Amino acid sequence: MLKSKTFVKKTRAGGVMKVVREHYLRDDIWCGSEVCTECKDGAPVLQQDARVESDLCAYPHYLIPDTNVVLHQIDILEDPLIRNVIILQTVLQEVRHRSPPVYKRIKDATHEKEKHFYTFTNEHHRQTFIEREQGESINDRNDRAIRVAAKWYTEHLNKAPSVGELKVVLLTNDRANRDKAEQNGLLAYRCEEYIKSLTGNPELVDRLALTSDDQNEITGSKLLFPEHLPLSRIQAGIKSGTFLQGTFRASRDNYLEATVFVQREGDDSTEVLLQGLQNLNRAVHQDVVAVELFPKEQWVAPSSVVLQDDRPSDKETEEEEAEKKLESPVLDPSRLKPTGRVVGIIKRNWRPFCGMLNQSQIKEATRHLFTPADRRIPRIRIETRQASTLVGQRIIVAIDGWPRNSRYPNGHFVRNLGGAGDKDTETEVLLLEHDVPHQPFSQAVLSFLPKMPWGITEEDLKVRADLRHLCVCSVDPPGCTDIDDALHCRELENGNLEVGVHIADVSHFIRPGNALDQEAASRGTTVYLCGKRIDMVPELLSSNLCSLRSNVERLAFSCIWEMNHKAEILNTRFTKSIINSKASLTYAEAQMRIDDASMNDDITKSLRGLNTLAKILKGQRIAKGALTLSSPEVRFHMDSETHDPIDLQTKELKDTNSMVEEFMLLANISVAQKIYEEFSECALLRKHPAPPPSNYDILIKAAKSRELEIRIDSAKALADSLNEAVLEDFPYFNTLLRILATRCMMQAVYFCSGMDSDFHHYGLASPIYTHFTSPIRRYSDIIVHRLLAVAINADSTYPDLMDKHKQSSLCNNLNYRHKMAQYAQRASVAFHTQLFFKNKGILNEEGFILFVRKNAIIILIPKFGLEGTVFFENNDKPGPRLNFDSEGPTLTVEDQHTFHIFDRVKVTISLDASNIQHQKIRMALVEPVIPGVSVALPEPEPEAKKLKLDR
Amino acid sequence: MATVQVSEAEKVYVMHGVRDDLRVDGRGCEDYRHMEIETDVVSNTDGSAKVSLGHTDILVGIKAEIGKPRPMVPDEGYLEFFVDCSANATPEFEGRGGEELGVELSNTLYKVFNNRHSLDLRSLCICPGEHCWVLYVDVLLLQCDGNLFDAMSIAIKAALFNTRIPKVHISEDEEGVKEIELSDDPYDCMRLNVENVPCIVTLCKIAHRHVVDATLQEKACSVASLLISVTHKGMVTCVRKLGRGSLDPDSIFEMTETGKRVGKALHAPLMELLQKEESLGKKRQKVGFLA
Repeated sequence: MLKSKTFVKKTRAGGVMKVVREHYLRDDIWCGSEVCTECKDGAPVLQQDARVESDLCAYPHYLIPDTNVVLHQIDILEDPLIRNVIILQTVLQEVRHRSPPVYKRIKDATHEKEKHFYTFTNEHHRQTFIEREQGESINDRNDRAIRVAAKWYTEHLNKAPSVGELKVVLLTNDRANRDKAEQNGLLAYRCEEYIKSLTGNPELVDRLALTSDDQNEITGSKLLFPEHLPLSRIQAGIKSGTFLQGTFRASRDNYLEATVFVQREGDDSTEVLLQGLQNLNRAVHQDVVAVELFPKEQWVAPSSVVLQDDRPSDKETEEEEAEKKLESPVLDPSRLKPTGRVVGIIKRNWRPFCGMLNQSQIKEATRHLFTPADRRIPRIRIETRQASTLVGQRIIVAIDGWPRNSRYPNGHFVRNLGGAGDKDTETEVLLLEHDVPHQPFSQAVLSFLPKMPWGITEEDLKVRADLRHLCVCSVDPPGCTDIDDALHCRELENGNLEVGVHIADVSHFIRPGNALDQEAASRGTTVYLCGKRIDMVPELLSSNLCSLRSNVERLAFSCIWEMNHKAEILNTRFTKSIINSKASLTYAEAQMRIDDASMNDDITKSLRGLNTLAKILKGQRIAKGALTLSSPEVRFHMDSETHDPIDLQTKELKDTNSMVEEFMLLANISVAQKIYEEFSECALLRKHPAPPPSNYDILIKAAKSRELEIRIDSAKALADSLNEAVLEDFPYFNTLLRILATRCMMQAVYFCSGMDSDFHHYGLASPIYTHFTSPIRRYSDIIVHRLLAVAINADSTYPDLMDKHKQSSLCNNLNYRHKMAQYAQRASVAFHTQLFFKNKGILNEEGFILFVRKNAIIILIPKFGLEGTVFFENNDKPGPRLNFDSEGPTLTVEDQHTFHIFDRVKVTISLDASNIQHQKIRMALVEPVIPGVSVALPEPEPEAKKLKLDR
Repeated sequence: MATVQVSEAEKVYVMHGVRDDLRVDGRGCEDYRHMEIETDVVSNTDGSAKVSLGHTDILVGIKAEIGKPRPMVPDEGYLEFFVDCSANATPEFEGRGGEELGVELSNTLYKVFNNRHSLDLRSLCICPGEHCWVLYVDVLLLQCDGNLFDAMSIAIKAALFNTRIPKVHISEDEEGVKEIELSDDPYDCMRLNVENVPCIVTLCKIAHRHVVDATLQEKACSVASLLISVTHKGMVTCVRKLGRGSLDPDSIFEMTETGKRVGKALHAPLMELLQKEESLGKKRQKVGFLA
């Protein structure tokens, strides 16, 4: 049967259009129940014995949730306990329209076999389709459609012979809808009512999202926040320029401060500073908000105070005091930033947050505050009856809403990850918090892996250069299983040298567009955590078929140069090849071979050749102005059984490290030139923009304090002046400067050559650069491989590869993933550092001041590569007199001692476990001694005890 | 236009019949043929009607679109006419054959209908000087069997009666930028007042008398005809002479009087019929084109 659906809509040009769609109704849509004999459904989804332990519905029943129940209570619906649910098409369509993420989740749930979720296309069923009536709003119509479908199910199932007590239960929180359903003789319950009746599983109640009915009870009716404007007013305001649209970024250090990053037309972007809870107006980190600017007189400089919201209860007075602290007298008008307030939220970007519960002090209370692990997220109020079991556990909580009268947003419990401090739990938390996809690879992805046993075929031999005879070897850190590069060097008959860099040919195995490729593109990079690796591609590829292990035949993509002994490139050749690595060495092993004069085999000779050339190349690069920067990197020695860190040492660089690095750089540059030459519009390149001069302020000031000058007019000048900045009596000074210089740098990013004009790589002083050498662990390299393969006619192209917009959006994802991977890595190191110090008690170490803040100094301990903050203010006692001078910057404490940047200090280091969620390394000042501020040397007693125990 | 060849003897026969008030198909001089009307036949228009008169078949569809009012009358909307002579009606219309006739017909329709006496054009105004509704009236000739104008005018009146224009609201922000907002209820719409919409009566002069609703055969016997548009009150809004021959003042007067009488009588049953059809609502069995 044919029906037509009619609606009017506004066109972009401002006209009005009537749209008529044909709508077919059918009578062969099955109900999907095992009970039914009428429908000819081959594999019914809904079970006959759909029984759940419930006070309310003791009989077996199917659930029909309405749209709002699906939207708000998706966490409940996803629980394995909830089964036999009929999702109506009306509901599904509305959900898709209102929230794509929830739509995806409910779709996933329906695909899960054990859930027995059935999608009933009621809109196309002859008996359940209804037309909108005159005077009926679209929501009313949909509610009616849901009721009609529920009614149909009730009657339809009653006709089945073996129906027994089976019933259909409608779940809706809308009172009007429920009343009407009951009038029609349907069973209808509120979602809360139903969930609370599930006697077998009381923990489900905690996951109920708080709906507006409950919110009023939470706090008094005092309105704390100004109202958000409706979207139409916001849009009109943005159009006219009275409001600005931007992304809300909460400050990590100060919960009363945030910035809104406003991207205006063109490249003109500004940052608006927001201060105080009222002005932040319930915006949460990453929300897209509309802000109104304050007049210029109210513009201020960002305060350099570190404020953390960790008071147990919300007392208004303290809040106000804290806000007062923000107001700092400003001396320098150029530091003033535009300020404003949030007038409305354009798009919430809430995700489930990891964190921990702060149990309410009142016993038997069901409302508790939840502190997210990410400091930029405010605390969330949740309702739970299992608080006592959740305390000390890492849990996930989702935000449901933030009413005007509540100091904190309301949310609900989603999942328990495990005990805090537990290594697996913490790793899970940091992966989740950094949005690192870490689920095992799906079957669809794995289905695209090559079949084992795999071997080189005739076909491969025909199209690839056979380099198996060459003496190729790989040099990697110890324990490396994903070897993606190998090298060789040999003397040619004409006296020149042939140098080859062989990269695993991952693009041979990962074909464009398939599930494996999509998964790799979405992961973007392999993430290395301490003692754990989250692979970008399945292990079969990363550690076996693509890994260039020794004495097996592997496919490679080779870049081969002919060089003279001055390391000048005479000729470059790219080819797909087959290699057979003769040795997999570690950096140390390679170094030993080079140094050991008694060894003269082919591999060693090859290594020596490479090493010599690398040194020349490095010299050339530095002469061009490449920067040598420094960041303290640490390595943990792990206990092989417990995987707990037992020792920690800063990474040491050997000659061979830089040897491999040099050739990788050279290969990357050669490939970048080649692909840019062939595809000027769609080459995937990597650039490192020069930082704006203001970034260097702190570096210049720091050097000036030691009467040294840092020139920043070019990378070369910077590199040279860094080299010259050496203090005789302070050998670590240069390293400190370089650490500081690293912090001044911009992020290097991937981009598509057709979308940008500035290609320069500042740090490497190269006009063009890309990533080619690690396709196993970086997706960018796979794309570069594909481009290069097309350029040398070794592979075919595909449309997305040549589409600069597609590639540009891919670059954005890769940049995001790389950034997140880096953060996750740092977080993992920080966590392991804490584990390490947990077993060490209190240590006494020497360190240097890295930054001076208004109320704190940040100290670097070179021995552990550890950074920590010494606060001069405490919540419980009055702080000492502080005098901050932003020119130095210096901080004078109690008029006795003035701290400068790079000052040598002595501190005690201990693990502060008072807050299990944010266990942190606590540093306290020992030297210089300032009465009332510094602490006495720790008594050596605990140390001694420990020593004894160890023995 | 579609014509038939009529022999001298046939002509005489027809003329004599008309003189005696008895036409070839048995009608009197002021009688219409059997007429069928159905509205709401094309779902993607805002209003539509199909009229068949004898074997003449007309389909009218009306689309409402937002446009700019004419500068002379900033507070009125307007109508646009387009007549499509389908090759379905007669093979002569194939290609561009029907174009000339189409333009002529639409010009006439424009004269008859697009004035404030026949339709309240002010009600089509949304925002004076800026936005108004423009009604695009598309007339499709499906079959020609004489008396196109009368059939067209009835179909247009029926289609206008059936037209539902979505209600719009003008919202104004602080800067005075106006924006059109649309109600999301498809039933929330505006109807047109068709009370004063005229009907066309075409009178064909045959010998000394004149007939209404001439067939093709009768038309071939006539040298000139007079087109009169009449409102339900009997007011004549437009008079045009069609055909090559001439008419003397006396017969023009006579014909006008007849036209007024016939036209006035046409409106009442038409409105009654339209209202009756509408009162059936959704239960009405649609006939459409397959009848």
